[in-house]
Amino acid sequence: MKKKLLILPVILYSIFLIICPLIYILILSFLKSDSYGGVIFTLTLENYKELFDFVYIKIFLKSFVIALVTTLFSILISYPFCIFLSSKKKIVKDIIMTLVIIPFLTNSLIRTYGVIILLRKEGIINNILMSLNIINNPLKLMYNNFGIIMGMTYTLLPFMILPLFASVDKIDKNLYSAASDLGANKLKIFKEIILPLSIPGLFNGSLMVFIPCIGFFFIADLLGGGKLMLLGNLIKNQFLTARNWPFGASISIVLIIVTFILVSIYKKLGGKMEDLGGM
Amino acid sequence: MKKIKNIYIFLVLLFLYLPILVLVFFSFNTSKLNIIFSGFTFKWYKELFMNIDLLEAFRNTLIVSITSTIISTVIGTISAIGLKKFDFKGKKIINEILYIPIVIPEIVLGIALLSIFTLTKIELGFFTLILSHISFSIPFVIISVKGILESINPNLELSCADLGANSWQTFFYITLPMLMPGIKSGAMLAFTLSLDDVIISYFTAGPHSNTLPLKIYSMIKGGISPDVNALTTLMLLVTCFILFISTYIQIKNMKTGSDTYE
Amino acid sequence: MNKKILLILILLFITTGCTKKDNELNVLNWSSYIPDSIINDFEKETGIKVNYGSYSSNEELLAKISTSKSGTYDLIFPSDYMVELMIKRNLIDKIDKNKIPNIKNLNKNYMNLEYDKNNDYSLPFLLASTVIIKNKAIIKDEINSYNDLLNIHYKDELIMLDDQRIVIGLGLLALGYDMNSTNINELNEAREFILKIKENIKLFDSDSPKNYLISKEVNLGVIWNAEAALVIKNNPNMEVIFPDDGFAISIDNFCIVKNAKNKENAYKFINYILRGDIMAKIISEYPYKNVNKEAEKYLDEEYLQNKAANIPDDIIKKGIFVKNIDEKIKLYDKTWASIK
Repeated sequence: MKKKLLILPVILYSIFLIICPLIYILILSFLKSDSYGGVIFTLTLENYKELFDFVYIKIFLKSFVIALVTTLFSILISYPFCIFLSSKKKIVKDIIMTLVIIPFLTNSLIRTYGVIILLRKEGIINNILMSLNIINNPLKLMYNNFGIIMGMTYTLLPFMILPLFASVDKIDKNLYSAASDLGANKLKIFKEIILPLSIPGLFNGSLMVFIPCIGFFFIADLLGGGKLMLLGNLIKNQFLTARNWPFGASISIVLIIVTFILVSIYKKLGGKMEDLGGM
Repeated sequence: MKKIKNIYIFLVLLFLYLPILVLVFFSFNTSKLNIIFSGFTFKWYKELFMNIDLLEAFRNTLIVSITSTIISTVIGTISAIGLKKFDFKGKKIINEILYIPIVIPEIVLGIALLSIFTLTKIELGFFTLILSHISFSIPFVIISVKGILESINPNLELSCADLGANSWQTFFYITLPMLMPGIKSGAMLAFTLSLDDVIISYFTAGPHSNTLPLKIYSMIKGGISPDVNALTTLMLLVTCFILFISTYIQIKNMKTGSDTYE
Repeated sequence: MNKKILLILILLFITTGCTKKDNELNVLNWSSYIPDSIINDFEKETGIKVNYGSYSSNEELLAKISTSKSGTYDLIFPSDYMVELMIKRNLIDKIDKNKIPNIKNLNKNYMNLEYDKNNDYSLPFLLASTVIIKNKAIIKDEINSYNDLLNIHYKDELIMLDDQRIVIGLGLLALGYDMNSTNINELNEAREFILKIKENIKLFDSDSPKNYLISKEVNLGVIWNAEAALVIKNNPNMEVIFPDDGFAISIDNFCIVKNAKNKENAYKFINYILRGDIMAKIISEYPYKNVNKEAEKYLDEEYLQNKAANIPDDIIKKGIFVKNIDEKIKLYDKTWASIK
């Protein structure tokens, strides 16, 4: 009987630190805000109605497009990397994957700062290109969508590489030689063997890139020059400056629903929950 | 072809490391601008150690990270064992719930915690900060420990009990030592996550509990300057140090592990 | 062995982290408003430990005050319209003027204003004004109005405050409307105007726009006067303009939070800051418009000659206060979301 106490902490934790806050957000999303930023306890659907306003739909779309493009970029960069790396010796693989993990564990803010040093008008890239006379005027590399997508891709790339490599590396290399013996070209090998066999890793990576993208308000702020409001910024503003918590809560609920839909697709595709989070 | 492959791998690594390297490089630059390297100096580092605000933020970060790591490691380990050993109603649901902090956007967890702290009138400060760090760390510890638990031979524990050991003895002499690698890597992960967290801390920190990442955020917003480079370089060093220790522990475990169980 | 060291370290950190300082003061102020050296001097002189937090907009301040437990903060620096709102919401306390002898130093022109008629709740700290700043060397054309910022040659040359009331207000002014309008049609027109200007805007930033002008990332901006003054100090080619359409001014005030735990210390702090020599030091580091008569004696030529810092009185008169518009703020929130 006493042994059952072992499960008490996890139950308490789940209830008080996960379920309660999320349920409160759900309740909050159906409440009204007063003009001073307080919450009035009357039920309303107004917050959700407000979400369908064109202004906010546009922000949703913009955020999803940015997240989608970032995910695509990460996939394009990671696939060749993982395929090429999987043919290497084990020791080489281990070393290079450790090198990928280090940035994965370092502060995303610090890495964003590094990107700023490189990309700004007076930054390293523009300076090098100008001194080599490749360009005459500095390129506009940041304070626009390009900057945001670069920053997001850079920050989240390891989240794509880690799961994708795990599943690409699992593929039996003999399959490749067998296929090429049968006359399949490289593209065909990719389409017929690698792609189908690495779907769980691919979707895992896409999930771990796409979802954080929506919430990274500081990348949009720092690299986008505050010109683009993404969902993360919108939620942050509702909570910290606009003083409309219920509206911010309703946006968060939509985000949670989107996340759950994506996760269930991932599970349908044969993905395992314990593989998420780069574990 | 092989060359192209190697170049490609190198380019991706370069992409991952260039911003970090540039940042570190310019932290030793005498010029205030991050453009041309005009001379080597430790000046910016010295300035950091004179900055009381920063040192305080660093202390806060350590308090929060260490405390939340210890608590989440203990709870996480107990929970992993509990979830493995006992079947109970709702276990499946709990298992699913544990993935919520891992998959939902950090900002959602951040505002959810902020709202509940406000509702319950808990003052924002160290307590709320530690609580929120625990809430995103525990699942990682549980997964890490569970991974090892799966590979433990249950007969080992049973035979121990057969030999007359009570359940506490079995736990401390058999289960715990075998779980150690999982616990340690879970703790390391929890520590680095806590050390680096910006988004959740942004919402749940109080007036006297500014952490280093939050300080860095406000400094970066203030513009590019070498003291930010120096500070971020130090943060990177700390992360690398932890990584180094955890790899070292892993290697040591692999060695001693193979010695004992062969 | 290692574990013992770790344990000692933890205990050390936790105990130092939790030591209660009885003699303290919790200040919440705009980022970069009072230099650290002044705070340090005050701490040395009085033995009071000042905990200093910061915010970057009045709305953020309001959120912090209304969501934190009462007694968390003692002294805050809200702007005019926020003072009015905080009085209405019962968030700030009356000031006991007898405890602040240096009140006599304040310039009467900036007292007893609409937002707090008898200065029962607030005392002016300094005055800020939005200005247009341009780099004469690069932007040659004459600029007198916000309409001039629409010039297609200024693409990616413009920086603006990341502040909805200021930016939307600027659009309203350019179109000849009231800067505090809550008329939906006027706001929509203002939005269209800002969207046109946005073509030229490189970034919105309220924290430190001066850096981008100093590094020539941009050469034109609508920013606060103190930032502009610092830019001019750095680059004499920079010129400040007070547009004919009008511009926003704002007076930031000392206010004491309701149920503050360290009221006496707050009075001591206010009295210290209101000393002429101290105020002059603050003003020369962060060159906003001075509202302290006594401080004028200590201000140097550099400050007095800088038109962005020491704004002439006749210009100040043309400035317009940002007003509290209560729940109509939601219109601005939405307009702002559609601009970004």
